[in-house]
This record gives sequence, structure tokens and C-alpha cells, in this order.
Amino acid sequence: MIQFDQVSKRYPSSDQILKNVSFSINAGEFVYVTGHSGAGKSTLLKLIAATELPTSGTVLIANQNVSKLKPSAIPFLRRRFGLIFQDHKLLYDRNCFENVILPLRINGVSEQEAAKRVRAALDKVGLLNKEKVMPITLSGGEQQRLAIARAVVSRPSILLADEPTGNLDASYAADIMAIFQAFNQVGVTVIMSTHDALGMSADQNRVLHLDHGQLTENPFMQKTLNLNTTPAGSFSS
Amino acid sequence: MSTWLNHHLQAIRLVLSRMRANLLSTFMICLVIAVAMCLPSLFYIGVDNLSKLTNHMKSETEISLFLKLDVTSDNIAEIDAVLAKNIAISQYHLVTKDDAWQQLQAKSKDNQNISSAIEQLGKNPLPDAFFIQAKSTDPETLETLRNTLQSIPGVEQAILNADWAKRLATLLSIGKKLIFFITALLAVVLLVIIGNTVRMQILSQKDEIQVSYLIGATNSFIRMPFLYAGVLYGLLGGLLSVLMITGIIQTFNYSVMEISKLYSSDFSLNLLNINLYLTIIGLAVTIGWVGSYLAVTRAISAIKIS
Repeated sequence: MIQFDQVSKRYPSSDQILKNVSFSINAGEFVYVTGHSGAGKSTLLKLIAATELPTSGTVLIANQNVSKLKPSAIPFLRRRFGLIFQDHKLLYDRNCFENVILPLRINGVSEQEAAKRVRAALDKVGLLNKEKVMPITLSGGEQQRLAIARAVVSRPSILLADEPTGNLDASYAADIMAIFQAFNQVGVTVIMSTHDALGMSADQNRVLHLDHGQLTENPFMQKTLNLNTTPAGSFSS
Repeated sequence: MSTWLNHHLQAIRLVLSRMRANLLSTFMICLVIAVAMCLPSLFYIGVDNLSKLTNHMKSETEISLFLKLDVTSDNIAEIDAVLAKNIAISQYHLVTKDDAWQQLQAKSKDNQNISSAIEQLGKNPLPDAFFIQAKSTDPETLETLRNTLQSIPGVEQAILNADWAKRLATLLSIGKKLIFFITALLAVVLLVIIGNTVRMQILSQKDEIQVSYLIGATNSFIRMPFLYAGVLYGLLGGLLSVLMITGIIQTFNYSVMEISKLYSSDFSLNLLNINLYLTIIGLAVTIGWVGSYLAVTRAISAIKIS
């Protein structure tokens, strides 16, 4: 589904961020991207979401070469993804409902259908009763859950989360992780970057470990980091 | 198809709610458009009506043929025969010096000064005259005809009464050119004003636009609400302008009709000039669209780079 072949990325006037990275991710996988900060985790996710293009090498998303896509085709590629950012990127001038409905508006879903789907998405992240609340009044964990609702409302097949638990304390982080696990269980591919080993939970998950821009698929880490942070609540979809 | 329709409906709804939230500034921009459209339109209405008036005058153009004072009735009969043969003349009639004299006396009966002045003259100073209606109203043809008539023996003077109408027509054509340039200049001003207004709106929506791009919005999706805003500004401004023009014409019409009455004419300014109104609204909408398109295209590429 996602294939990287000898991908390098270099920004003008900076060191090489990614060096010859090759991997492939199949549909339905749950993949962690780990590494120290500055290792290139965010850049890797941006390359997948086609918000950045590789300097060399090929990125294939559903057998399409991202570098060769016409600029007008890129928005449609992005709609396959649900994007979750470390800083949420919520819009603070409108309430929760209006935040979550944005991707559906972009997809041209009718208002009635959209309202149903927004409520379903808010329900999944446990924010149904906060529909009319302004995001600024929510706690950090709630804001991140709202961002997840916005990412999943258009039913993407791939969730890309850039350090979603980075700014949260442990119990909130566990909530968020449980939500991602629940989506993965119903077949959504989840790719999540984290610099913090505590974020990772179940042992079946695959880890892409980045070290100074180079990929080391790290079986050692996979075995040793069996820290079981089973979530408090269970979210079924 | 339904996706396309939903995008448009959403954009319109979004624009209307933004306008409702900023009623005063929306009104201000519409007022600016209305006033800017109003100025050349009023000028146009003035020139247009004047030129209609001169057309009206031209159709009454006649040539006055004054004969020499010492012509005999034989001479008059000869001239009459010449005029009857000329194919450029549609009709003519003779006013003899005696008829003219009687008419003058009859007309001045009411006015003491003039009638006493006429009495003091003692004898009739007026010449015999032919009043000729030409078939053509074309100024050049008329001029040729006048020259021909002037050269008939026994004719003192042939006077073409259209000279002032010709001058006025030239002045009016200058006026029309002026209107064109004023309209063009004001259109540029409106483009800049609307473009700037839309640019400010885009900047205030910068976060939303950035997030929208990240989650798969196309350029046209981002552009659409702003284009609708420009078009709506144009439409509302155009309508307001039509309203203002109608009001102004109405006020003018009172005075115009009073003057017309003095000239025993029923001339008045036309209130319902549908073509003009449609042109105003169409032009305003086009300017709104182009202004916002330019602004949004520039602003979007700036936002994408950042």
C-alpha cells in the first residue's frame, strides 16, 4: 500500500534529513515510527501524506508515484489519509462540530449526511456531548481526541499521526492509544510517530526506527518494549 | 454532480454567514461599488438624453430661403419651379412678405413695446421666403443642398438651421469618450478595492486554508467562497447603484419636466432603462469576480509556500 524505495530528503540549507530509506507498509498494519527528535520522523510522515516530495527515490502510495502526480491530483491523494498533528491544528474560531465537519465539506458530502457522520466520529472519541463547545475550552487530551475525530470522519483507509501523545500525560496518552488500536482493529492502517517508548503498547506492532535519517527496523526494540499500557476504557467502532 | 453542487451550496452559505457577521463592512464595500458605478452612469444618462434631444431637433431641420427684396412675382414663380424639380426636397412652402408682415403684427399684438416699434417702421421690411424641408437629415447632404439653393438667382440667403445641433453632437461624442475613460478608471479602482477586501478576508482565514490544504482541499474549493464573496459584493453594489440612480433621476425629472413644459414638450428622463441597469449590475459582478479571483490566486500561492 505504501512503498518507499531509496528515498532521501534534503531541505535547502540543511543536512540530509532522510538517507536512502526503503520500506513497505501493507494495508491494516499498525506501524510506529520511532527515533530521537530530529531523526526525520515528521519528514517521513510528510512524505507519506504528500505534503513534501522526496529529493530522490520513489514514494508509492497505492501504486501511484507521488513525485509524478499532477499538482491537481495531490488533494485527492491526501483524502485517503486521516492526518493528526502534534499541535492538533484545530480551528479555534468555531465549535467542535464545525471543526470535525471540515473534511466532509471538502469531500462535498451533503449537510445532513455530514452531520450524522460528525456525531458518529465525536461519539467514537467520547466527545459527543461537547459538540457545541469551543475547542479552546477543552483539555489537551480532549483537543487531541477532537483532532482524531476530524481525521477519521471522512473514513480514511490510513491514519497518519505525528506524535499524537507527545504533549499529553500518561493517562491521556493511553486513551489516545486505545482509540488508535480500536481503529486498527477494524482494518484502518495506522502509522504513528513517537519519540517516547511509553507510547507504544501491543507487541504485534511493527516499529520503523530512524537514527539520524537512516532506517533500522529494530527487532530488539520490538521485543524489549513490551510495556503493556492497556487502556482504561475500550472503544469499539 | 452532487459533490459539485454541495461545494457551491456550502460556499454560498459560508459567504452569507460571514457577511451577516460583518454587516457594516459588507454595506460599506457595497456602497463604494454603488457610488463608483453611479458616477459614470449618471453622466451617461445625461449625455444619452441630450443626444436623443438633438436627434429630435435634427429631424426638424429645414432650410430657410430668403429672397432679394426686389424680386417680382415672376421671379418667385421661376424659383418655385426650380424647387419643385429638385428631388432632394421633400416639401416646401412660400411665405410672402405680406403674409410674414401680417403674422408678425398678429404675434406682437400682446406686446406693447414690439407692436409700437413695428408701427414706427411704417413699411414692411420683410423679404419673401421659402421654407424647405429636405428628404435627408444627413448634415453633409443638407450642406450641399443649401449651396445649390444659395446659387439660384434672386436668392439673398439660404440658412441651414442645423449648425448648432451639429456642434452639440460633436460635444456629445466627446462626452461619450469621456464616459468610457471614467468608467475604465473607476473599474480599475473597484478592482483594487474589492481585491484588497478579499485579501484581508483570506488573511483572516489563513489557518482554515492551511488546514484545509493539509486534509485534501483543492484550489477551487479554497477559492470558491472568496469568488462568491466578490460576485455578491458586485451584485449588491450594482443593485444599490441602480437604486441610487433611479432616485437621482426621479429628483431631476421634476425640474426637467418643468423646463420641458416651458418649451411645450413632454420630454422627461427615462426612469426604466433596463439595458443600462443590466449593464451596471453585470459590470459590477464581473469586476467583483475578477478582483477576488486575482486576490485569491495571489494569496493562495503565498499561503501554500509558507
